[in-house]
Amino acid sequence: MTQPDPAELLALATPYALHAVTDDEALEIERQLIAAPADVANAFINEVRAVRETMAVVSESTALEPPPLLRARLLDTVTRSNRRARNRWQTVALAAAAVIAVGLAAVGIGLAVRPTPAPPSTAAQILAAPDVRTVSTPVTSSGTATLVFSRERNAGVLVMNNVVAPNAGSVYQMWLVGDNGARSAGLIDDASVGPSTKVVLTDLSDSKVLAFTVEPAGGSAQPTTPIFAKLPLA
Amino acid sequence: MADQDVEAFADFYDRTRARVYGLVTRVLRDPGYSEETTQDIYLQVWRNAENYDPTAGSPLAWLMTLAHRRAVDRVRAEQAAGERESRYGAANIDRPADQVADAVVERDEHNQVRVCLDSLTAVQRECVELAYYGGLTYTQVSERLSANLATIKSRIRDAIRSLRNCLGVT
Repeated sequence: MTQPDPAELLALATPYALHAVTDDEALEIERQLIAAPADVANAFINEVRAVRETMAVVSESTALEPPPLLRARLLDTVTRSNRRARNRWQTVALAAAAVIAVGLAAVGIGLAVRPTPAPPSTAAQILAAPDVRTVSTPVTSSGTATLVFSRERNAGVLVMNNVVAPNAGSVYQMWLVGDNGARSAGLIDDASVGPSTKVVLTDLSDSKVLAFTVEPAGGSAQPTTPIFAKLPLA
Repeated sequence: MADQDVEAFADFYDRTRARVYGLVTRVLRDPGYSEETTQDIYLQVWRNAENYDPTAGSPLAWLMTLAHRRAVDRVRAEQAAGERESRYGAANIDRPADQVADAVVERDEHNQVRVCLDSLTAVQRECVELAYYGGLTYTQVSERLSANLATIKSRIRDAIRSLRNCLGVT
């Protein structure tokens, strides 16, 4: 599957949306998706979305009341949890209520009135992942490094804002650091540093930290200078 | 503030619980596992509500996708533990009527979904049963039905497209 065929990839959209692929297959599909031309990725994502909306409607046919005690147990657990950032609750609950109350028509209309999405960038695909996370850090010299990543997609998009370019003859090298040490995640040379530099990272695997060092042009096999910025991936 | 969140969560639970528990039960076919998994699903929803992206789909699709994922993960974990055949058997094609009986549903919508499901061809329905409710991968479906992979992929896709058109999901 090194030379992905768009038709092959698209044929997997429905099984993928239905979770009818193995975890390994899903990862491979996601890798291909990130590398695929925008129109192919767009078609894939639209199909996944449509399948999931369809199955959400179909879920009416298997509806079954859970035991009442489950409600009490659940609410007791969440009441005792003292997590912050719950403010999305109102939005989610209200939107769900609207969809369910108005029924099928609303599902169709809700989708139809949404503006036609632009071809999703890799960033959009990562953002659409259910487990998307964002981490950010100031960079020692200047600027910030922000990583938007998804373990499920096994990928991330790094955005470096207002970071100064490396000195001539050197590069910034990114490292994915895990229990087995550091492996290179790519280079950023002075030519590729702009006011806002975007880098796509794939294969995060089980790494725990994304770290940055200054290395000689061409990069190094292992870090040779102190880490000047790092982002936790946990 | 926190109380309001819990209230909103309770409301969300009440509006969606039958769909979630019903789907999970359909996939797991074990009341104990289903209750446990439903609880896990809603706790995940509670913790990750901020991950919901309205541009990626409706809240219900988000929830049901998450629910199906958890149920399938559970089935596959049991399968890996070698318990599947004894505990779950092969995915049943027919749904016990008593599961439908106490479903709390809005009748018109329910009927429309039923009509659309009934409009599938027998082979399409079989594929949806195995791949979606049975938690099998399309490769396993092709082995189960002794049909080639391309045939199974297109059957699954045609089945869902047909449902989608019938239900008017755009």
